[in-house]
Amino acid sequence: MNKSLTAKKLELVCPAGTPASLRAAVDAGADTVYLGFRDETNARNFPGLNFSRRELADGVAYAHDHNAKVLVAINTFPKAGDPEAWHQAVRDAEACGADAVILADIGLLAYTVEHHPKLRRHLSVQASASNKEAIRFYAREFDVKRVVLPRVLTVEEIAALNDNIPVETEVFVFGGLCVMAEGRCSLSSYVTGQSPNMNGVCSPASHVRYEEVGDQLVSKLGEFTINSFGEDEAAGYPTLCKGRFSVEGSVSYLFEDPTSLNAITMLDALMKAGVTALKIEGRQRGRAYVTQVVSAFRQAVDAASRGEAMPDLDMSLLTEGGQDTTGAYQKTWR
Amino acid sequence: MAARSKSAEKLSPLKVATFLMRPLSLMPLAPLQPLLAAALAVMRRQHPAVFERLDELGEPLFVIDPIDLPFIFAMRPAGLRPSLLAQREIDTDQATAIIRGPLPMLIDLLEGRLDGDALFFSRELSVEGDTEAVLVLRNAVDSDEINLFEDVLAILGPLAGPLRFAAEARNAVVTGWNAAR
Amino acid sequence: MTTQLTIGPVLFNWSAERWRDFYFKIADEAPVDSVYLGEVVCSKRLPFYAEYIPEVAERLAAADKEVVFSSLALVMNNRELAGVSELADQTDSLVEANDLSAISYLSGKPHIVGPYISTYNEGTAGFFVEQGAKRIVLPPEIAAATIAELAKIGVELEIQVFGRLPLAISARCYHARSRNLHKDNCQFVCGEDLDGMELSTVDGKEFLAVNGTQTLSHSYGNLAPELSTLLELGVSHYRLSPHAIDMVAVAQCFRDQLDGRLDAGEATARLSELALGVPFADGFFHGQAGVDWTPAEV
Repeated sequence: MNKSLTAKKLELVCPAGTPASLRAAVDAGADTVYLGFRDETNARNFPGLNFSRRELADGVAYAHDHNAKVLVAINTFPKAGDPEAWHQAVRDAEACGADAVILADIGLLAYTVEHHPKLRRHLSVQASASNKEAIRFYAREFDVKRVVLPRVLTVEEIAALNDNIPVETEVFVFGGLCVMAEGRCSLSSYVTGQSPNMNGVCSPASHVRYEEVGDQLVSKLGEFTINSFGEDEAAGYPTLCKGRFSVEGSVSYLFEDPTSLNAITMLDALMKAGVTALKIEGRQRGRAYVTQVVSAFRQAVDAASRGEAMPDLDMSLLTEGGQDTTGAYQKTWR
Repeated sequence: MAARSKSAEKLSPLKVATFLMRPLSLMPLAPLQPLLAAALAVMRRQHPAVFERLDELGEPLFVIDPIDLPFIFAMRPAGLRPSLLAQREIDTDQATAIIRGPLPMLIDLLEGRLDGDALFFSRELSVEGDTEAVLVLRNAVDSDEINLFEDVLAILGPLAGPLRFAAEARNAVVTGWNAAR
Repeated sequence: MTTQLTIGPVLFNWSAERWRDFYFKIADEAPVDSVYLGEVVCSKRLPFYAEYIPEVAERLAAADKEVVFSSLALVMNNRELAGVSELADQTDSLVEANDLSAISYLSGKPHIVGPYISTYNEGTAGFFVEQGAKRIVLPPEIAAATIAELAKIGVELEIQVFGRLPLAISARCYHARSRNLHKDNCQFVCGEDLDGMELSTVDGKEFLAVNGTQTLSHSYGNLAPELSTLLELGVSHYRLSPHAIDMVAVAQCFRDQLDGRLDAGEATARLSELALGVPFADGFFHGQAGVDWTPAEV
């Protein structure tokens, strides 16, 4: 099957960390909004963020009134012996009228298939399904309808994948960039005891300290120095894999520069690669970010669907370190 | 509640308008306190969900330091006795966190017009102390549409009319500042 | 269930001869029950030592050791996928699945779920057992309380008790990046570091070890002080992850401890000497930061 011949308009999937961000995303032209409950059941379990059950129900109503969909991310791995919070999250997502849940854990997928068969299931990036056989496995065993692809594949690999799998794909186009395969990274918990998989946080703020040392701004995570910025340098949050480290006497951003993914120039290629939906990262970012990024991508997606050139959109203020990259979509990144 | 409505009563629109139109750096602090107390009270009433998000912090003290003003704001937004005070100085050791930046930027942040992460990345905003508490505060104020001046005007009810002029003047100043960056 | 010592797959890019000789020595001298072989980290490395695999497997089998083939952890293209499929199709030995593609190919026949699969709870473990998993190797960030829950299922459980902890895998090669090379033209610079390339913080604190596309802890995971607890929890298999140190002596140390000839304190003292000054970590087991070292019985 060659999906590129029947390329449809790309669906724009946008983040909402709060009810105000949900309304901002919908107002700025999101086709779909994704969000999580205010607990450890989702991978952006940041302090003060996310939705109560009441807020979700209100958010679904607002989105549906504006022809937008709501996806609920329940994409951490349930605690052994105590999966109730995750089961409850699936139940409540369905009860609140969510259009789909985004899941990563195999046990939770099995639970959802058994107890909520009508609730549409998407596979979270945290499940790290990076090849056609892994994706077929999730489609066969749990009837997932869409897979969020790990940020490790090139556009060519994505195109090859889409020709060989029975489900929709969703890819990240903007925001924070994991350089490690998602869902398979224990760097954060090695330093802080808290991880994306188990606690829904990476390099948590509770373990972050900034110290002024002379004219340097030093950022620390737990007991480890992650970076040190000179007076005129743009600072960054000490996400472990975006730190500056020393290898054989030379100091560099060995894993990744302090940068954000921005694939806005590649929408046409992604559309031709058979991708169904584009995902914007940033549930932890403010609604100002949501408004600006969603508006820009709304224009870009509309232009791409009409075969027009990309509008000139500057989003450098919203990216980490004021830099961006197309990441793994281009092979040279590796 | 009684204390709060009392502070509101002390405000006359003219008095508030006078303050808003004066250069902030010349402002005496004592007359500012009832306005701040009333602002906090009305914010709590208008945006209960915002404050509910702050509950997990216990009784934090945020020091908001507008670098363009000769005083700081000591804000205790949660706990049993919420307060917002303007002070010339403060023992920063007691602060949960200190947030520094130009006043118009801090107001834009509060009202969700600016992205805190972007500001921090560009180092226009600086944060010291408990980073997690700052994140809770940021996420909380961002969770609802806060419009500081509309909210504060609301406490004045029908008397608010003359103040809109002042607010608009102030917005013009801020817009100019944003454009100039 | 008898307790078994295992040798995990060599994670580093050793020369083909070094790789072969390491396993020969394990076959001939190490008091271990089960040995894992195969390329987990980078598919480009496999061709160098592939020719020795049959010899090594035979020698291990002749020494009465169970041989397990480990599959690649991050599978991104059809060439790599074909390798996984081929591994899953062979019937001589058990396969350790380290990617969901391998789990898919192996479903319906006995296999081992590897440490690169996210098995965090009984729901997931139970699903794998129904699909034919006879043993589950726990991911590194698993605490004692989780092990207790998983043990209730009745599947064999394996945990790494010695060696650097695999913390992350990426599409990007950091060894190549450190030399300003592209992954496609990496010149196999990862082969220069037998135990991974040392990475420290800007203020000089030892932190991580880079192994091509994989990132490991600088510290060696060491659960020797927790062996009695692990035995009580019902863990059946104890993995030693290979390093360029005297792994036969490391295996002997754990064997002696399991057989009651050595107490935990003596074992850790001996391991410290064998580890040549690399610090230990056991934080994940205690539900803390993985880097922590708060041994129970030393």
